[in-house]
Amino acid sequence: MKIEGYEFPEGLYYDKNHFWARVEGDLVVMGMNDYAQKMAGSIVYVGLPPEGKKLVQGKSFTKIESGKWLGKVFSVMSGELVAVNEELERKAKLINEDCYGKGWMFKIKPDNMEEVKNLMTDPAMIQEWLKAEIAEHSKK
Amino acid sequence: MILMKEVMEGKLPVTEGVAQALLRCTTCMNCTVNCPSGVDPQEVIKAARKDMVGMGYDNLFKKMGEVVEKYGNIYGEEDRHDWGHKKGKAPYALFVGCVGTFREEESVGEAIQLLDLLKVDFTMIDEVCCSGVMEDVGYEIKEELALRNIRELQKTSANTLITTCPYCYRVFKEHPSYKELGLEVKHITQFLKDFDFGVKTLKKVTYHDPCDLGRHAGIYDEPREIIRKIAPNFVEPTRSRENAMCCGSGGGLRGSFPEDSIEISRNRLSQMIEETGAEILLTECPSCLHNFRNAKLRKQKIEIYNITEFIAQLLQEGREKELA
Repeated sequence: MKIEGYEFPEGLYYDKNHFWARVEGDLVVMGMNDYAQKMAGSIVYVGLPPEGKKLVQGKSFTKIESGKWLGKVFSVMSGELVAVNEELERKAKLINEDCYGKGWMFKIKPDNMEEVKNLMTDPAMIQEWLKAEIAEHSKK
Repeated sequence: MILMKEVMEGKLPVTEGVAQALLRCTTCMNCTVNCPSGVDPQEVIKAARKDMVGMGYDNLFKKMGEVVEKYGNIYGEEDRHDWGHKKGKAPYALFVGCVGTFREEESVGEAIQLLDLLKVDFTMIDEVCCSGVMEDVGYEIKEELALRNIRELQKTSANTLITTCPYCYRVFKEHPSYKELGLEVKHITQFLKDFDFGVKTLKKVTYHDPCDLGRHAGIYDEPREIIRKIAPNFVEPTRSRENAMCCGSGGGLRGSFPEDSIEISRNRLSQMIEETGAEILLTECPSCLHNFRNAKLRKQKIEIYNITEFIAQLLQEGREKELA
């Protein structure tokens, strides 16, 4: 679905820190949403922590940087980091080019898959939240 | 230089492309020290950038100038970390700059921790960007910000200003807008060189000379004096001191062409790793530190720190062992 010009594919889970999650078997893949990558501008760096790192849902665990902005990456699930997208090491702008595809960031083995229920998946809810975010950001 | 010669001789029209091309220089001064004719290309480049702006070819740093005026820092950040060292009056004042504050906050925190562990009586101020960088990218320093920094620093009654950023050091030390400062200006490596730290690492350590500290300010020995005290296995990279290669972050390149800037950093980092086999890379510049950390590949196991940050960590590890 498109919300105010930003792509938010249905079937994914979204958190309020602007990251998406996709369940793939017993793993969860995460990345940055379209609104956030457009706001950030051309992304030049993503910290890629070592596999095995323990992550907590909603807690930051690495940094992401564009030419004009430095932000934190918040985990969408609690669990273990099992894979990182190593292509981002030399081409972080894959996040800008294809944020839901080649620009995926991390794979997590969740401690409890039930945690996805804390994320947004209902289109109406996502739409309401994003519109509020856009309005908030435009005030700045 | 050839580009500018062609423009001067009327063989090449001034275009947006020419103005953009002139932003592709880190002003690192490597050309300057190697020029057999004694030309200082980075000064020529900086003058040409001003000419371009004067001719109406504004660049992206026009926006940065507006941001600096509005927010007091180059990133437009509204919230500045408070390190809680604003005691008002002290013999020393510490200035940490925009890049350290907003891009390498942990490193600045460790430098502050080091000064605390060494029982240095210092104060921080409500600092704003020194704004010297505007001069490098075609615009003028922000006099209002310079006056604000001078006013805040003079309130401290400090005799000495310590800067963690070599670029800020140069601006405070050399720029006419800061001539009324009235404080001795020292880069933190100059300040720390006579201290005994009482800690050592046996790891193999190398050092990257920041362009702003080395070629621009002539500070080569002080960082090495400090490193030799703490790292007996210190190895110089082949390209060091006056001949050190730039990390790619200077002269506005990181802002205007960040990917190219990081690629330069990646080359420099790989070069130092291959030549020295070092486990630890030290430098003392927030911009170099940030670019190297962004550039480091996962397969590269080298650890990268500012000298101050590294010593603070060694001291804290030592204390933890004592307590254990």
